[in-house]
Order: sequence, then structure tokens, then C-alpha cells
Amino acid sequence: MSIEVQNVRKTFGDFTALRDVSFQVPTGELVALLGPSGSGKTTLLRIIAGLEAADQGAILFHGDDATDRSVRDRQVGFVFQHYALFRHMPVFENVAFGLRVRPKALRPSERDIHARVHALLKLVQLDWLADRYPSQLSGGQRQRVALARALAVQPQVLLLDEPFGALDAKVRKELRRWLRRLHDEMHITSVFVTHDQEEALEVADRVVIMNEGGVEQIGTPEEVYEHPATPFVYHFLGNVNLFHGRIHEGWARLGDIELEAPEHADAQNIPAVGYARPHDIEVTRYRNGTAAIEAVVSYIHPIGPLVRLELTGCDSGDLIEVALSKDRYQEMNFQEGERVFITPRKLRLFVQESQPAAGEGLPKS
Amino acid sequence: MAGSIALQRLSALPAQPRATTEPVLVRWILLGITLAFLGMFLCVPLVAVFAQALQKGITAYLSALHEPDALAAIRLTLLTAAIAVPLNLTFGVAAAWAIAKFEFIGKSFLITLIDVPFAVSPVISGLIFVLLFGLRGWLGPWLYEHDLKIIFAVPGIVLATTFVTFPFVARELIPLMQEQGTEEEQAALVLGANGWQTFFRVTLPNIKWGLLYGVILCNARAMGEFGAVSVVSGHIRGQTNTLPLYVEILYNEYSFAAAFAVASLLALLALVTLIAKSVVGWKSQQQLLADERAAVKESA
Repeated sequence: MSIEVQNVRKTFGDFTALRDVSFQVPTGELVALLGPSGSGKTTLLRIIAGLEAADQGAILFHGDDATDRSVRDRQVGFVFQHYALFRHMPVFENVAFGLRVRPKALRPSERDIHARVHALLKLVQLDWLADRYPSQLSGGQRQRVALARALAVQPQVLLLDEPFGALDAKVRKELRRWLRRLHDEMHITSVFVTHDQEEALEVADRVVIMNEGGVEQIGTPEEVYEHPATPFVYHFLGNVNLFHGRIHEGWARLGDIELEAPEHADAQNIPAVGYARPHDIEVTRYRNGTAAIEAVVSYIHPIGPLVRLELTGCDSGDLIEVALSKDRYQEMNFQEGERVFITPRKLRLFVQESQPAAGEGLPKS
Repeated sequence: MAGSIALQRLSALPAQPRATTEPVLVRWILLGITLAFLGMFLCVPLVAVFAQALQKGITAYLSALHEPDALAAIRLTLLTAAIAVPLNLTFGVAAAWAIAKFEFIGKSFLITLIDVPFAVSPVISGLIFVLLFGLRGWLGPWLYEHDLKIIFAVPGIVLATTFVTFPFVARELIPLMQEQGTEEEQAALVLGANGWQTFFRVTLPNIKWGLLYGVILCNARAMGEFGAVSVVSGHIRGQTNTLPLYVEILYNEYSFAAAFAVASLLALLALVTLIAKSVVGWKSQQQLLADERAAVKESA
């Protein structure tokens, strides 16, 4: 079942949680709502579930307006961040709950309930824990019980709120691969909320990047990573270097580099920022014809598949981060304190006014 | 003065190597004071009640309890508790539910209001009802015209008792329910449960020990309440005397053995309450610990 979010707004007192959010989730897709804390992603998920009411806008399930449909009738499966398992019930009863509370006419027989719960517990590989209480389970096990419980009512839509947020790094990685496999088997339309870029990019078919209550960009993981639409997305997905400068009549000048900016042909000396990923920057020892920025190697991190260089721009004093392949690093054999020249291979220009107040304090992977 | 100096010197002796414990003498003195105090003010009176009650032998004891007036007092006390406790149970659960699970204007005012019966003297509580329903009270003339008796009758006693025992259940449940949050209820709703199913299958089982604890305390107070009930009762023998009031009457009439015999019932009730309370307290503590362990595991 497809989900459509139309112009949803939500405020809590003076705080605007969502400002005019719209997007669609096609049937069977796994979509991530990605954003820093306070970006409104959990509120949006709760509005889709019906746990929260939007001030304006509509939620459509399969093309039908479900905005005023009660949470009980939406046929959604919801996995809470802290699982919200029923603490006084064993695992089996937790999973069976959604079947047992059905009106008599729709309630499966005891034997069917038994069969379905055990099938689900098998699916989440916890068949052997059916008699345990939630307090006797580990975080990862609880998460899977919560998922089995949500799936027991055969929801049309599965919504997960920070599903791996409370788990340690290793379990987290295992579970998200497992979720991806599960989704590939079941093809249930799913939306999950996360603040972890890696998680969103690895698991989701499409990513909705949110910031301050609005949608910044929607696209496949590759699209949003390779072609960020806004400076915020650049910052939020991975490291990025900023080159400050000005645009004048179709030409941008950032320090010593000058490049064409045809989309800003009528710009009159406006401030602009160029964004370049660390692996999109070329480092050379000599000025090789093209204009380049002069910098000094201040630090080298040779750990991992990529060698990271920290450079300091000679004119601006800005920190510039560059990632080199190991081979290239060994070939060039840069030393700390050495003077080098850098040229961005790929650079995206944003006019300064359009840059949101993002930048400082954002998570960088 | 000299004594305290000697004590200080004693405690300064290096006999006790551990830095954090007091010297043996100090410990024994503290313990002794505590035990002596407990004995004087709790155990001796309790023993005295039973000793006095059985002073004239077991037959006299039993016959004192078999008096029609005594039986009437027991009946009235049980009736009062049987009405007041369920009322306060219902109210307490409803109030705690509303306060812990919902946000609304005037919430803190409601919490304060629930505490009023604890804050005012029971005698004042009784007087409020006299002022309201008494012959010269606000509603008195109207009640008189319609031949309804509240003051100096059973309804007044029930009302006063309900008022005085009002906060017990709610006070016990509010912090418990606030700590448990609303996520489990939301999960139940998403899974298709209606309001009643959510309450009886999710909320109630989670609070059962705390609820029982509150009910036990509420019941003990309902049966033992003196002040408020005394004001509204009118002390009509065999009709409007609860056990505590009946004890006072017997005592004032110098029927000491009978007074203590009836008092021993209340003392027994107190003992049973204490035992039940510690069992339930222990149980709810266990649950709390389990919850905490779960929380620790979660955050680990």
C-alpha cells in the first residue's frame, strides 16, 4: 500500500515541528526519514501512524484519505524506539496481543493464533524465547520481538521509529542487514526514522532528508550522496570542504581558483560557497598550469583504506580535508609541513544567501 | 558536658580502624535508643491492648465482642469501608490515569486538590459535611424537607470516610504511572485494541501491585478513621458508631475490658495491614527492580 503525505504542518506551542511536508512512498518501498534530532522526522512518522494529528495537510493510504482515520483502523505496524513491549506479558503474548484484541468475529482461533505467533517468532529467530518476559531479553532480541508483534496484525504499512537507536554498534549493523533482507522477502511498504546517515544510505530504497521541519531532498541513497541538493545535505551526508568566494557575471572566484558558473550569469559580485568532498580534491606538489589553492599539510592520518590529509589554506587559514587512495599517497609521499597545491575535481556552488544556518556541530562521518 | 567529652575521647580512640564506621559504643547507644523508643511507643501499647482485653478471661473477651452494639459497630465499619474503598479505588485510578497519561490545563491544580484531605485536620473535614448537610447547613433545610438524613446517619459517615481516604490510591499510582509512560498504551492502540482493552490488558496489569498497596492503606484508614467520622456520626449506639467511636464510648463508660477487646480488633487489623503491606511492598519493589534492570539493559 502506498503512502502519500500532503502538505503536512504541525506545531507544538511556539515550536514548528513540520512545515509543509509532502512526499510519496510507492508500494513496497523501504524509505528512510533521515535528519538531525529536532528535524521533525519522528513527528512525521507518528502523524503517518495516527498517533499524532497534523494541524494541516493530509495522509493518504493507497490513494484514500486516512487523515481522520483512527490509529486502530489504519492497519499500520509501528515499532517504537524503546520497543514498548508489554512488560507483564511473555514474548508469545506480546506477539499475540494484536490478534487477541480483535472483535470476536475477526479473531482467529486459538490454534491459528498459536501457529501464526510461532511462525513470526521463527521469522525473527526467537522461537526459543516464547516464554520469556521482555525484561529477560537483550536489546536486539526485544527489537525483534517488537517487530514480530507489529507484523502479527498483517499491517499494510510498517513504520519504525529509530529502530536501531538504542543498540550497540555491532548488533545495530547485523539487525539492519537483517531488516533489509526481511523487507526484500515481505515487500511491505516501510518507513523508518533514523539520524544515522550510514544506516539510511545502506538500508533504504529511498531517503527523505529532513531539516528543521522541512524536506531538504528526496532521492535514492546514491542520488542524495552524489548530488546533494542543498548545502545542508552536503554537510549532513559525509565530510565536505567549503571554499568561500564570490560570483560575478557567470564566473566564480574562490581564493585562487576561478571557474565558470553559467547558472549565475547575471550575478553581480555576490558571496558564494563552493562545496567539495574530500575525495574530490586533487593534491599536487607543483602548480600544474590550472589555478590552484596553496596549502600546507598539517596532519596525515594513514589509517584505513583511504589516507586522510589535513591541510591548512595559506591565504584563508581554513582547514581542508583531503582523502587519497593508499597507492596515490605512497606514490606522492607527502610529508607533514609540506607546501602543496589543491584543485577541486568536483565542486558545487551555492550562493551564500540560500545557505541555511547549518554548518556547525553537525555529525560528520 | 563531661559525659559528651568522655564520649568524644572514646570515639577518638584508634580502636576502630575503619574510617567509615562509628565506634562500637556509639553504635550500641544509637541502636539502644531506637529499640527502647520502639518498645515504649509501639510494642508496649500493642501488648497492653491485648493484655487489657483478655484481663477478665477469654469468655469475657468474646462476649464483649458479641454485644449487639459491638456487632453493629463492626457491621457499620465494614459497610463504610466496603463503600469508601471501591469509590476511592475508582476515583484514584481515574485521576492517576488522567494525570499520568494526558496533558491538560489545570493538571498541577488537580494534583494539589487531591492532597487536600491530607492537609486539613480530619475534624475540619467532618465539620465541612456538617456545614453542608447539617440542619442549619446549606443543603440542610432541603434535605429535611425531603426526609433525607445524611448527618448523624450512615451516609454522612461514608461521605466523611471517603473524603479522608480520598488521596491514598491516587497518590500511590500517579508516580508509578508517570514513570511507566504511555508507550505501551500507544502500542496497544496501534495493534487495534480499544480503550477498555488497553486499560484492562495493558495498564491495569502494570500497576496492580501499586494499586493493591494503595487499597490496603486506604482500607486501613477507612476502618480506623476517628476524627472526621466522630463529628458527623452523632454517636448513636447500635446505629452510627463505627469501631473507633465505639471504643471511645466504652472507655468513657469505664468498661475497660470491653473497650480493649474492641480495640484489639483494630489492633489486629493494623497488624494484618502491616503484613499485607510489606508483602505487597516487597512484590512491587521486585517489579520495580525488574523494570529498572530492563531499563539498564536497554541503555547498555
